[in-house]
Amino acid sequence: MNKTEVSESTMIKITDLEKFYRTEEVETIALNKLSIEIKTGEFVAIMGPSGCGKSTLLNILGMLDDPDEGSYVFNGIEVAHFTERKRADLRKHNIGFVFQSFNLIDELTVFENVELPLIYTGVPSSERVKRVEEVLDKMQIMHRRNHYPQQLSGGQQQRVAIARAVVNKPKLILADEPTGNLDSSNGNDVMELLTDLNEQGTTIIMVTHSEHDARYSHRIIRLLDGQSVMENIMI
Amino acid sequence: MIKNYFKIAFRNLWRHKSFSLINIVGLAVGMTACFLIFMYVRFELSYDKFNQNFSQIHRLNTDIKTPNEVLHWSSASPPMGPTLQADFPEVKANARVFGAGFLVESNNHKFQENNLAFTDPSLLKIFTFPFIHGNPATALKDPFSVVLTEASAKKYFGGTDIVGKTLKLNGKQLVTITGVMQDVPLNSHFNFDMLISSSTMEKMKLIDMNEWGNFSNATYILLPEGYDGLKLQAKLPDFLKKHISEDKRRKGYNYELFIEPLKDVYMDTFRGAPVNGNLRNVYVFSIVAIFILLIACINFVNLTTARSTERAKEVGIRKVIGAGKNQLTTQFLGESIIISMIAFIVSVLLSMLLLPLFNQLAGKIISHNIIEHGYIFILFAIAVAIGFLAGIYPALVLTNFKITTILKGRFTSSVKGIFLRKGLVVVQFTISIVLIVGTIIVYNQLNFMRNQSLGFRTDQMLVLDFSGDSTVQAMSESLKHEFTQVPGVLSASGSGTTPGNGNSVAYSEVESRNGSLVPVNMNLYDVDFDFIPQYGMKIVAGRAFSRDFATDSTKSFVVNETTVKNLGYTSAKDAVGKTFNQWGRKGTIIGVVQDFHFESLQQNVKPLNLRINPHNLGVFTLKIKGGDIPNTLKAVESKWKVLIPQRPFSYYFLDQNFNKQYATEDRFGKLFMYFAVLAIMISCLGLLGLASYSTLQRTREIGIRKVLGATVPGIVNMLSKEFLWLVGIAAIIAFPLAWLGMHSWLKDFAYKINIAWWVFAVAGILAMMIAISTVAFQAIRAALANPVKSLRSE
Repeated sequence: MNKTEVSESTMIKITDLEKFYRTEEVETIALNKLSIEIKTGEFVAIMGPSGCGKSTLLNILGMLDDPDEGSYVFNGIEVAHFTERKRADLRKHNIGFVFQSFNLIDELTVFENVELPLIYTGVPSSERVKRVEEVLDKMQIMHRRNHYPQQLSGGQQQRVAIARAVVNKPKLILADEPTGNLDSSNGNDVMELLTDLNEQGTTIIMVTHSEHDARYSHRIIRLLDGQSVMENIMI
Repeated sequence: MIKNYFKIAFRNLWRHKSFSLINIVGLAVGMTACFLIFMYVRFELSYDKFNQNFSQIHRLNTDIKTPNEVLHWSSASPPMGPTLQADFPEVKANARVFGAGFLVESNNHKFQENNLAFTDPSLLKIFTFPFIHGNPATALKDPFSVVLTEASAKKYFGGTDIVGKTLKLNGKQLVTITGVMQDVPLNSHFNFDMLISSSTMEKMKLIDMNEWGNFSNATYILLPEGYDGLKLQAKLPDFLKKHISEDKRRKGYNYELFIEPLKDVYMDTFRGAPVNGNLRNVYVFSIVAIFILLIACINFVNLTTARSTERAKEVGIRKVIGAGKNQLTTQFLGESIIISMIAFIVSVLLSMLLLPLFNQLAGKIISHNIIEHGYIFILFAIAVAIGFLAGIYPALVLTNFKITTILKGRFTSSVKGIFLRKGLVVVQFTISIVLIVGTIIVYNQLNFMRNQSLGFRTDQMLVLDFSGDSTVQAMSESLKHEFTQVPGVLSASGSGTTPGNGNSVAYSEVESRNGSLVPVNMNLYDVDFDFIPQYGMKIVAGRAFSRDFATDSTKSFVVNETTVKNLGYTSAKDAVGKTFNQWGRKGTIIGVVQDFHFESLQQNVKPLNLRINPHNLGVFTLKIKGGDIPNTLKAVESKWKVLIPQRPFSYYFLDQNFNKQYATEDRFGKLFMYFAVLAIMISCLGLLGLASYSTLQRTREIGIRKVLGATVPGIVNMLSKEFLWLVGIAAIIAFPLAWLGMHSWLKDFAYKINIAWWVFAVAGILAMMIAISTVAFQAIRAALANPVKSLRSE
């Protein structure tokens, strides 16, 4: 891995990032020479109309997808063209995901869903129980540990999803419209949780349509047609 | 991690019960069929392997070259074995086996036994027949000593500790029991109820043991370990030249000897064996087993990949959370292995349940339970392999999903995946249709053989077997007369044998068209004057035997049409009056009988002659009235007990006995049918799953179509059509395959049906109808559903 020169506090630096989607007849530009820098410990919101490239950006930042052109430096490592195996390895140790639709596994209980990332990173069983209980407690969902996702409310499901995202103590959390499927009260709870995590040092990047939610962040990046058109620093 | 996989696998199975059930039932049924066939094949391939000297034992076969044909026999003549051992040091031992039948008497009980054998003491050294009592090394040394099997010992004496006791053969010859051995294993190519020392045969003067030209006994030799029998075989032409000089051979005859390893004997359909297998059937059933398993595995692959849309979300989440490809592959493979393990347990239970039935179907006990011989471990390994093979493709498909596509929720089955599933359905139905066509043709051929006119009367012909008893022969005319006095008996005749029961082959010389005497091997029927008219045989030239001609019982021969044809005569009439010499009898042909089938319809009719010979009669045939057969039979039996008290009453019906020759084909047909039914059942199970899944996925589409005005029949038609197409394509592929396969099967029959077009039509329509009924149920249900509901569910 070749370390690239970046400032100490920079976690993510993307430069001239491009992503195209091709069908047989049409080529769509999802990201158009996009350059962004995010510092460790920041809480950044990404906003923009549908189709502006928010989710594509989030997928690339989360190493779920790779860019067609440009550079992506994560913690000083150029990852733009990593193999899937390398990306998966980097991802599972560093990044947690929170989705609008929670994406819990229906066949597993709350406890098992949260435990899953620890299994994949090879944490021993006794340690896993401790850490899952710890995080469930923190998310105030401990009493639901043996329930299945379908038995929970949306707010509870999202808590479980967040618990699962943080159980591995990731440096970065990527949230894709985390309150999109929740009522405002549950939505606020989730935003509080994310703010807490950020205050404890976790970097958070959140895609949202909600100006209300965006206000919880330090900085808003607004995208249009795959380009950053404006940045607001929140005070 | 493993625990987690198990957990999710079981929960998944439970959540999707119907899919799990289809998968498990399909696999279990497929495995059961496969296991049973596996045991059958293993049994068939295990013949004679119980012998410790298995690899060293060889059979001596003879080709007998006559001027007009070559006879491929599995026998040798009596002096050959001992002389071979004397001449060649590599022949460590030799044993001759002569089949025999006697009336056996013990404690005043009489049994007609036809599965006895005269043999040399060395047989017990060459073959492995463990003794319960007595010493195998000495048991058959002396004349008039016999060895019984456990079953016959119990039959005669009720126990096995009987060494030293005696039996009486044919009412006069006392023999002493010198040993009791375990029953001959079922997987032996020859079996017997009693062994009699060969020296007994010499003492009884039953055969000339120095006759080189009498090929009536089997000969086995023991060669050194690793010794190639062909090396010895190469020396045999000189051996024959040395021992059988020109004057000892029949005119124009020549012999060639062959050494056949024991491993080939059971499956040797060319020369035959007392208990004969058929390698072709073993192949056919192995292929059928693989096919059925393939169909079940295809179900598994199809249903799993069809459900991949559902599993995609899980795969996506696991990948996001950090699962590697290998971990996911392991998980899905694990799931399929779990399914195959459940199916394995079910199939073990099913196999245990069905084994007795299968044994019955196979006509022998291939296995008492599936635990013996460690079968279960092999089957377990097969089951794991099935789980692995069936699971590997779905596992690879599932783990190769792109996370971003899945998480966007835009995931649908790929065109490639759908194409593959359809292709696999075509494969399933192709196999099913081939099996259906095969079944129909096998049954047609069997029916054809059973209903074919055999050239003689077969119905209500009761045959009484007196096994050539000379006292009966001496009184045959008066006994026949007595039997015709029984109410219900219409007529009686005597003969040496009956069609379907084998006959002697006699060296004969017949005058050919150019006037020279030509040597011919004639199939010989020793009969009396009433035989030809009673059997309803048709005389096409000359006349049948008649009591009016004194010479008919000493000098006259009736031949069949094939003889006439083989001798080159253009018309049957031309053969009448020609010279005919046979076994010391010189005379003329007085008549030509229309060809009749004295062997099964697998064989062409061969040259045959009939002659009057009261000294060689073995059975009486009674033509009886159709009305009250049981009573007639009872009356005949009472009469027998009065007339022939020295012999047990033994009878059979001519038609049933003749059709016994088709027992193997019958079993083959039945097995074929059962497996065809299984194949189509499993295919339909898969089709049901696939159809229900496909309709489920199209719920929204159906809803929209109904809102736009589609009718219920229209929708059913739309949904069914897609699958019927596949069955149609399968039929097109299956027909030529089935034709080729069955054409080759029919080649074994000299008299066979033509494969008719309607067989294919029936098979195609049958498959189509079964498929329609499977798919239509799902389609109708989907079409009848309220569109409001289905649209809301989106």
